[in-house]
Order: sequence, then C-alpha cells, then structure tokens
Amino acid sequence: MKKLLLLIPSLMIMSFSGWAQKTVTGSVLDEGGLPLPGASVIEKGTSNGVSTDFDGNFSIEISEGNILEVSFIGYSSELITVGDQDNYSVTLNPSNELEEIIVTGQGSGIEKRKLSTTVDVLNEKDIDKLPARQIDQLLQSTTPSAQIRLSSGQPGTASIIRTRGALSAATSSTPVVIVDGIRVDNLNSNPSLAQDTGGADISALADIPIESIERIEYIKGGAATTLYGADAANGVIQIITKKGKAGTSKVFFETRLGSIRATEDFLKYSRTAEALFDPGLLNEYRIGMSGGTEVSTYNFSASLYKDDSYNDLNEQIKRSFTFGLTRNISDKLKYQASMSYVNMDSNLDFNANTSFSRFSGFEGGGRGDLDTMDDETWQSELERSRNLANTIDITNRVNRFTASNKFTYEAGKNITANFTTGVDFRSFVQQRNDTNEMQIYQGTIPAGSADRASLDRMIRNNFTLTTDFNLTHRGALDNFEFVTIVGAQFFRKSDRQNLVSGSGGVDGSTSVNTFPTKTSTDFVLENANYGVYLLENVGIYDVAFLEFGGRLDYNTAAGGNSSAIFLPKFGITYNISDHDFYEGSSISNVVSSIKLRANYGEATNFAGAFSQDRTFALESFLGKPAFRFANPGNPDLKSETVQTSEIGLELGFLDNRINFSGTYYKGITKDALFTPSQPPSSGLLSQIQNIGEIENSGVELAINAAVIQNDKHNLNLSLSYNTNENTVTSMGGAAPFNVGGFSVIGSWVEEGQSLGYLRGTAATPNGDGTYTFTPNETLGKTFAPTFGSISLNYSYDKFNFFASGDYQMDGNIVDLSFLLRHLRGVDNTGIPDDLVGTTSPFNYVNYFTFENDFFKIRNIGVTYNFGQTDIFSNISVGFTATNPFNWTTGLWDPETTGSGIGTQNGFSSGGFYYGTESAPRTFITSIRFEF
Amino acid sequence: MKKNIITYIAAVFLISGCNSDFSDVVDFKQVTNPNLSEGSVVGLPNSSALWKSGIEREISRTLNEILILAELGSDNYVNIQTYFSQFMDNMDIRTTDPDIRDTQNEIARVMRMAEYGIATVGPNDPDYSAVTEAEFNFYLGYARMLAGMYFSKLPQETLGVPVTSDDLYANAITSFNAAISLNPSAEYHLAKARANYYLGNKSEAVAAATAAISADDDFLRSAEYDELEGPSNTMEDALYERGTFDDFQPLPSLDFLDPKYSFVDANVDPSVHYLKAEEAYLILAEAHLSDGNVAAAQQNLTSLLALVATRDVREVDDSGETRGNQSNAVDDSTRPSSSEVTVNGRSGLILDRDNGDVSIPSVSGTSLTASEIAAMGADDAGLALIYRTRQEIFIAEGIRFVDMGIKLVINENEILQNENISDGDAGTVAVVPSFIDAVKNDLDGITFDAANNSAATTVDVTAILIQNKTSSSVVPFE
Repeated sequence: MKKLLLLIPSLMIMSFSGWAQKTVTGSVLDEGGLPLPGASVIEKGTSNGVSTDFDGNFSIEISEGNILEVSFIGYSSELITVGDQDNYSVTLNPSNELEEIIVTGQGSGIEKRKLSTTVDVLNEKDIDKLPARQIDQLLQSTTPSAQIRLSSGQPGTASIIRTRGALSAATSSTPVVIVDGIRVDNLNSNPSLAQDTGGADISALADIPIESIERIEYIKGGAATTLYGADAANGVIQIITKKGKAGTSKVFFETRLGSIRATEDFLKYSRTAEALFDPGLLNEYRIGMSGGTEVSTYNFSASLYKDDSYNDLNEQIKRSFTFGLTRNISDKLKYQASMSYVNMDSNLDFNANTSFSRFSGFEGGGRGDLDTMDDETWQSELERSRNLANTIDITNRVNRFTASNKFTYEAGKNITANFTTGVDFRSFVQQRNDTNEMQIYQGTIPAGSADRASLDRMIRNNFTLTTDFNLTHRGALDNFEFVTIVGAQFFRKSDRQNLVSGSGGVDGSTSVNTFPTKTSTDFVLENANYGVYLLENVGIYDVAFLEFGGRLDYNTAAGGNSSAIFLPKFGITYNISDHDFYEGSSISNVVSSIKLRANYGEATNFAGAFSQDRTFALESFLGKPAFRFANPGNPDLKSETVQTSEIGLELGFLDNRINFSGTYYKGITKDALFTPSQPPSSGLLSQIQNIGEIENSGVELAINAAVIQNDKHNLNLSLSYNTNENTVTSMGGAAPFNVGGFSVIGSWVEEGQSLGYLRGTAATPNGDGTYTFTPNETLGKTFAPTFGSISLNYSYDKFNFFASGDYQMDGNIVDLSFLLRHLRGVDNTGIPDDLVGTTSPFNYVNYFTFENDFFKIRNIGVTYNFGQTDIFSNISVGFTATNPFNWTTGLWDPETTGSGIGTQNGFSSGGFYYGTESAPRTFITSIRFEF
Repeated sequence: MKKNIITYIAAVFLISGCNSDFSDVVDFKQVTNPNLSEGSVVGLPNSSALWKSGIEREISRTLNEILILAELGSDNYVNIQTYFSQFMDNMDIRTTDPDIRDTQNEIARVMRMAEYGIATVGPNDPDYSAVTEAEFNFYLGYARMLAGMYFSKLPQETLGVPVTSDDLYANAITSFNAAISLNPSAEYHLAKARANYYLGNKSEAVAAATAAISADDDFLRSAEYDELEGPSNTMEDALYERGTFDDFQPLPSLDFLDPKYSFVDANVDPSVHYLKAEEAYLILAEAHLSDGNVAAAQQNLTSLLALVATRDVREVDDSGETRGNQSNAVDDSTRPSSSEVTVNGRSGLILDRDNGDVSIPSVSGTSLTASEIAAMGADDAGLALIYRTRQEIFIAEGIRFVDMGIKLVINENEILQNENISDGDAGTVAVVPSFIDAVKNDLDGITFDAANNSAATTVDVTAILIQNKTSSSVVPFE
C-alpha cells in the first residue's frame, strides 16, 4: 500500500505546462449553436487547459502553431491549430461511439478511446422514446450484450439480468446500480420476509426513477468494474440524471395514454384468458422544466402514472419527481446535486408456486381440463375466479428517496478533486390479508368460517450510504500523457425487515391490532465496504494507452481470518487508425478506424452479511423459548473473485458509418461461494464457503450501421450476437447441490456442468415398449448460451420509426405447468402412450424439458416532431407498442420464470416455466409539448 | 487578545480531536450481528431448560422428515400428487435423495444438540437438574435409536466411522440407561424396550416394557408442533391441510384411521406420539406369543384395547377429502370412499366423509376386537393379528417401515466428505428384504370394484412379513 501511495506524487510530478505566448479566446457551441459550458480546451500534448464558462467561452494562453484540443462529454473532439487570429468559435458535433467520455468505473471521466474495456451507453434520446416503466425493461433489447428477462407480467416484477454468464452460485447476477455516483438498492428478488406469493417477486429496480435520465452507462464485470470492488463482478449500471443546461428555461408537458393487454401467446387454455384477463387503461402525465444561468443550472421533472393492468386484479400507481442542479460556488469549486422521490403502489395476484394461484390452477390443470369442461362447470369456475379476484388482497407500497451530492474542485491546473456522497433510502411495505371470505372461495376453510382471517405485513427499510473521494491528475511528457486517479470509496448498506402477522381474525380490518393472535419476525443485513483505488492511464503518442491500477478492498462480511483483497487491473488499447500515416492512407477511406484492446481485471461478490459468524437461535416453540444451533460460521469466509481477461477489436468502416465491435472474454470465479449441504453427520445447517470455481467464456459481437445517411433520411441498424460457455470447474469436494426447482427435476450445481443446469430422471425408449430410466440425467442449460439483440431506427425529417428486439438460443426450460397438467391427468401431449401410467411422471421429466429459444420484438414505435409553433417550441407525438410479437419453440414463455427466484438476492437459474403470466403488451400514444 | 483567541480555538479543536466518542459519528464501518453468539447461551441461568426445548423442537422436525419417507415407503400411504418425496413410493432409495440427506442430518442434529447439552450447556447452567440431564441422555439415545431404525449404518459422530444398526441400538440403550439412572420414567423404559425389541433381545425388551407399564400404564410422549411459529406438522399437511396438491392416500384397510393428524387451531398443530404405552403391550404380546403363552398375549392385547378406548378421538370435518389417484386426484370413483365398501372382505374400514364429521383416533385406533383376541392362537394367524394391530396403532408414526425391515442409505454428501465411507460400502446400499423388494411396486396397489362395493389390496404385507418371520430383517422375536 505504501508503495502505491509513493507512486502518486511521482506521477504527479510528471506534469508539464506549455509556455504562454498569447491569449486566445473563443466559444464552444453545440451542433445547434447553443453554448457548451464546461467543455475542455487543452493545449494538445500538454497539461495546459481550461474549461468553458456557462456561456461556452474560454480564454487560454498558448503559442502560435500549437494545437488546441476541444472536447466535451458526448461530443467529438476538435483540434484547432492556433494561427494569428486570437478568437475562435468551435462547434462540436455529437460524438460517434469511439470518442465518448466514460465516467463509470474510472473514478473520473476518461475518453472511451483510451479505454480497453467496453461500455454500453444509452442516451437521453433513446431513453425518452421508450415506454418502459422500469430500468431493466428499458435496457432490455437496447444493450447489445446483456440478457434481461422480466420474470413475470405483474407490476414491479423482478428480472434476471446477465452479461457474461452466471458468475456466482451464491448471489443474483444483477449488476450494481448507481445513480449519479450513489449506490442504490438493487435487490432484484423478494426480500427475505416477503409474503409467500408463489414467486411473484417484487424488485427494487422497478422503482428507480427513469423519468429524468440524461445517460445510462452499463459496464460489464471484469477490468471495467475493478474500481468498484466488492459486489461489482456482475457489472455496473450508472444512471446520470439531467441537471439542466444554461440558457433559456424550457418547460415540457407530456401525456401518455394507452392500453395494456395480456400476452396470450403461451396459454394452454383460451378459457384462462376469459377468466383472468381484462385489458386495462394506462395513463401518465409528465411535467418538467430546466434551465439555468452561468452559475447554476437546474432540472425538475415529475410524473404521475397509473395502469389497471391486463388482468382483473393488478393495479399500479407511480408518483415520482426528480430534481438536479449544478452550481459554480467559485471558479474552482463546483457543486452538483440530484434528488429523487418515488412512490409506487401496486397489488399482486398469487403466482405459480402456491395453490392459491388462479393462473397456475387453470394452466396447470388444477381445475381440470378447461377445453372439455362443460359450460355449467365453467361458469362456476368463472364465478369462483372472479370472487377470488375481488378478495385476494396483496398490496405493495414503496417510498424511495435518493440524493447525490458531488463537489468538484480544481486544485490546480492539472489536479481535480472529486467528492461524492449520498444516500438511497427505500421503504417497502407489503401486506397480505387472507380474509375468511377469500379462504372460503379458495376452499381451504369450511364455508361459514368467520374467525380464520390472517394478516401479514412486512416492512423493509433499506438504506445505502456511498462516499467517494478521488484526485485526478492529468499530465504529459513529450509524447506521453498521464491520467492518474487515486481515490477512496466507502459504502454501507443496511437492510432491516420486520414482519408482523395476525391470525384468527374476522373480515373487515387490516389493523394487526384486531387479530387475536399476533407474531412478529425480523431480519437484518448490515454491511460496510471500503477500499482505496489507483488507476493510471498512460497515453503513448495519443494512439496507444496503457491502463493499470487496482483496488484494495475490505468488507465486513468477511470472516475473522480474512484480510483485505487486492484487485488488480491492466489494460492496453491501441488505436491504429489514429496514426498520422493511417489517416493519410487509402485504406482509411474504407476502414476508417481500428482499435485493438486487451485487459485483465478482478472484481468480487461478497457473501451475505453475517454469514461468517457462528450463531445460535432462540426460537419460540409452543410459547416457550428454545435454543438451537444456527449458522455454523466460517472464519475463513471471503469474497469470491472473478478474474476476467478480454481481448477486443473495434472497426469503423466508411467514415465510421459501419461500426463493428468484437470481444472475447474469459472469466474465472475463484474461491466461488458455494453453499453445499454439510456432511449430514455434522447435523449442521449449510454454510457458505469459498470452495468452488466457475468458468465463463464467450464472444460479444456487435455491428451498427448507418445504412442511409443524408439530409432527410437516416436509417440505422444494430445487431448483436453473444455466446457464453459456462462451466462449474470445481466443487471443492462437495456433493452436487440443488439451487432451484425440485429434487426430482431441479436446477443443480455440479462439477463439469453449467451452473444451475437441469437435472432429473430421463426415460429413453428401448424400442420394445419398455424404457430405460436414468436418474440424475443432464437435461440442459438454463442459461441460453447464445443471445443478442437487434434494433432499427429510421428518421425522415421530423418523423422517426424504431423497433427493437432480442433473442436467445440453445438453452432449456422445464414446463412445470405441463408437468402438473400431466400429473393431473389432463394433458399427455407428446408423451408416448406406452409410458403414460406405467410409472411416476417424475421418472420421465425429459418429456417436460424443452428448448428455451425465443425471438421477441420488444418495442415498435413512431414519433413525429411538429417543431416550433406560436406557443410551443416543439410538439411531438408518438406511438409505441411493447412486446407486440413473440416467437418461441412452444407453449411456454422462456422468460417468465418468476417462481424460480428463491432466496433474497439469491442465485436464479430461471429454468422453470411455471404458471406465471407473461409481460403484457402495451399500446401507448404520447403527446409532448415543449415551451 | 488575538493570541488568546487563537489559543482558545486551538484548545477547542484539540479537545474535539481527542474526544474519541465523537469518532462514532463518522465511523460507518461498525456492524453488529444481532444474532446470538455462544457466549449468550452457555452459562446463562436456566439455559439447559431452553436447550432442552430446542432439542424437543428438533425432534419434531426430525419426525417431520422421517414420517414422510417412512409412511410412503411402507404400505400405509401412497402419494398421489405430491411434492413430498418423489422416490419412496417406488422404494427407490438413492444416496442422492435430498429427503434422506435431510433425515440423516436431522438425526445427527439431535445427537449433536444432546451431546452439547450434556457436555457444555448443562454443566455451565447453575440451574441444571438431574431431570434435565436425564432428558439430554434420553434425546441422545432416541437419536441413536432412530439412526438404527432407519439406517443399516450411520456415523455416530461428525464424519465418524459408520456404526451398524445393532451397535446404534446398543449405544442407544447405554444412553437410555443413563437417563433411567437419573430419573426412571416409563418413557425411557419403553425406549429401551423398543431398542431391545428391534435387536431381538426378547427378555430385555420384555423387562423394559414391563417396567414402562409398571411406572405408568397410559403414558404418552409426543413431539409437539407449533402451527404459528413452526415447525408445523408436515404429515398433517400431507394428510389433511393440503392445497390443491400434497395428498397422501391411505391403504383402504386403514381408511378409518385417516387422518390421524388434522387441524387443531391457529396456534398448535397435532402432535406425533412417538412413545406410547400401547407399544409396551404390543411388545409383550408378541414376546408372549412367541413363547407360546397365548393367555398372556391375549391379556396384553385386552389391556391394549382398554387403553386405546381411553385415547382421544377427534371429530373431523373431512368433507374436503377426495379419494383419487395419480391420474385424477379429485375423482372419488378411483378409490373406495363409502362405508358400504368392504376391503379384503372386511367391512367397517371405510368412512363416509361427506355425511358430517368423522371420528378419527388421534393417538391410537385399531380394528382389533375382543372376539379376535379371544380366538387367537399361538400361530401365524395370531402373529399376523399383532402385526396388523401394530400397523393400525402406529399409522403415520413411522413404525411400519421399520417393521418391514427396510433401511435407508448414507447420503452422497457424507460419502464424498467422510473418508471412512466409500460408495458401495455397507450403509450406502439400501436394505430391502427380498420378499419386500419382490412386491415393492404393489405395496400401495388396490383393486376397486365400485359396482360391487368391494376393494382389495394387491398384496397383504402383514401376511408377507409373517411368511418370512424367520428372516433376520423382520419379526425380531421369531
């Protein structure tokens, strides 16, 4: 560590300044002629530089003949050779992909061209046109190398997000989510004490505000996330919110109105739709204003949203506002803040994994064969279903505040200090009231029962505090540029859950006070993580860049025998096309840019808080206290480390009208956290241990082409293709263990297999009417190893058309609804007659296992800008359809695996389709007025 | 003046800086595990009583695991649409079966808790009593006996050498003797009688059973269940409080005894009675019959009937029950559900569940009659009567499985991690007597002629046991 600290001053000494010859002034404007405050104006090859003021003006001392490099985030840099004139007006155009500045994972902003890692960026324009209601839905099909699967159609649903495969058997694959530098609650599953809704999981991602986003950066795990340290192995999504721009105040008002309809593509019985589905209305109002002066800017937006869903039960209301500002406190000190509040109310129906689920009951054959049911019976089923819809009472309420503060201080010509601190507080209240009436309709208590009602209320308060301080030094020495970032980061997470339950009640109250018997349970997770990091980016002749650095990481979820972990990172980038000789060569007319990159980096996932401690429990057993052994403890527990190497190639053709990106990666999860069963003779509960090893490798290919590009017409096409090979390479001596599903057809962790692969008893015909039954047969990978996305954007003058979709192939899924129908004797589709009835269906689960291929169009939309009118600066109208088309290999939705998410933040294989409604279709029109 | 101000300001800062209490304000690294550590348990006054409650809770959990396997594995119950054990109905006993793993783990857990109670919690508790110490020894013995009942070999220590069923019984007896020396109770004597019974030690079994009845002739030791806070009774879920699935169906000849466990109230689930005076009478009757002493056996069975008559009978609304099969769980026509149906020629075994509440014994019930007792002789028919009665008395209590001589296997987690065990060793291979193995697919088989109100079981396991009574696996006194 001391050595690292010594390195910093020595690097800082390497700064050189140019010598002043004359004062050059000027202004920096965007493509529309508006000033760009905060743009960087630097004497090329030196550390001599200034930023533009809020009118976009600058003043710099520079010699004639030297070159000024003008840059700004999101815009292409411009080079100006200083001649005899003293004033320059520089217009910057929005950058193409290779020249953006990336802040996520870098400590401070660094040009994308200098980075050896890849980043997916979604800008304001892309975001605003999509009708998504939650961040994961927004990223679905718009990020080229992420697999994002919404696990149910119900409001606030959890999702499965994966980029470079399943890295961990211990935790969810959800990336860290950061809003303006602040970690926010990203729990993408039900909390530990949530109601047993049969797998209708509620996610914290669903209430991250998406109404005021300027930009989203999505970096994948590995070298890109090393600086985030613990928990960042699955990648980082950073949301940068709007803070307003100097200039005339702008106001907008937008209304969205639409219809929300069930996706019926995967239904076995059309009568299921008749019973449950009911198209709903969707309505949203948004208002926003932004503007500012040369000293401060602001942005405010608010949204009110409601839909009554695609079925006869769900309803969702969301209220939010966000506020962002910047202020120049002095010439050197800048303050930037953002704050958001979200309130979300929704209700849930029971999902698959409970006998209370209506959908699962119908589709799983629990109510009989609906196709052959006589009308009279069906009418009574309809009545029962409607009675249940009116009496099922599971409600969710979220209140969430997020606040970020960032101070930037220009400590010298070359040194910038950044201090970021902020909090995210999310309160989630989930309440389930099983009235006597509902239970009588369910048939679980006798008619006439009046004192069997129960009430459960869970309150989860999650608090996250983030603090980051770093110093950035930019220097140059001849043809070498140095960017040195040294910093310290801290975050603390506190998750407190309380469940109060009342039973033996009468109907008519949701106060636990009115229930004669009361119980309560709590759950606490508390974790602090801190580390110091250093990153050095060395530019060589401005064409090649060397990155090295790392993070020394410690977190309180480690055992007593564990020490801090050092996570190194290295990278090299070579922009061949930036050589002068290349720019002048004839090949550059065809291959306009070539970038080679390679890197190695480590990131971690840590075990759940307190899982290292040996503990005892005191249970209440029949009203008496009763001790027991609880967690066995593991003083050697530490984070699992994902070591990722990647090499990549980026090519631009025809003046970068066609861009290609290709990456090969290999990630090895060392000391993988497994929770196998203890040897049974110990009598101990399972204990998480660093015993496994998992390997992921694959390629990520993406191509983006401006097929048509002229004054009027623009057509852009994007296509991505990704592969992932996932293997558990070591079990550390433990037996295979189940991580989902059932013992008879489950998702397992076993050496030599894909993480969470499907295992069960398979029947193979011998050709003579008999069958061979093989237990523990491999039935496929739950993670589709081939996936990608496709999008199209066409604009003609003020008209814009877009469409996006995604696909996956080569994975498998178990259709548990079919298995249940078969068990209940109403569906033998595809099962040989000579097998049915001869043995338990659990001995031929291969007949319920299918390919999980799909191709889904996620969004199709059009927008039209009317432009300036007498009153408005612009009026735009739009129409979007979400989830309009699906192609799958059968009557199951490979995406809706809601019942498969087990424990809080736990691993989810998503390999089971089981009585879960698919994401609905929405058809939305929007009108936006700008003043 | 200026100097004073500077000194004052410096002093304020210095004091602030030295005030270590204030460091808490900016120390966000501290986390505290809210759970109990060992220091909060050991040495606490009355901790042995709380530890004892904990072991009792663990025994309830252990029986939850065992009963599902044992009742499905025997001819008592068939699993028609359940996510409980998928294998046991077909007598498919695998080292990879997680339910068998959990059973082994639960038994070991009771052992480890009992040992920790004896060695650590008890001696450090100022309120430790001989009664509690006796209980700890009993729990250890009971766990060892369960290991012997359900496994042919099982490690007795963490990652220990596998111990044979007979040695497990012998070690259990050692623990029961320790318990008896501290606090002689009927239950400890009966436990000792059962261990000796399965060992085939007739005289020791008789002595212990006699001692048990002498101490208390209607005792009942029960694993209790907490519907509110858990554990709830898993068998009750399987038999009664099920949703649209989880449905066990009894052999029709046992229909009148089902459901032994049914809804009590929101706080308490029905208990499993794991040591009861009935067992002492049955052991004595079997011992006397094997000695040719019919009169003594008849006396024992008569006492048994008298005792059964005093046991609790619950009025149960079982109108929601459907007697279906695997292909159609709700079709009442596939299994007998009318009192008019005879089973194997016997009437009165099937209950009408749709005509009001049914009366179900919640402790012990039997179809044995005084006239059957009077007519019995010292022959196989007499022995069969005792075994039929054992099946009825112990339904849903896991005993029939043991009586059939079946033993589970050591789980693969143990095999992989315990250097004393290799796959293929004794203990890793299921023990199923050949005469049971031959009929394992027919154990739950029935034929039902609804038109003629007649049902028959495909096989009569009691008869098979008696036919093979000389086998070392079954009928220990023969």
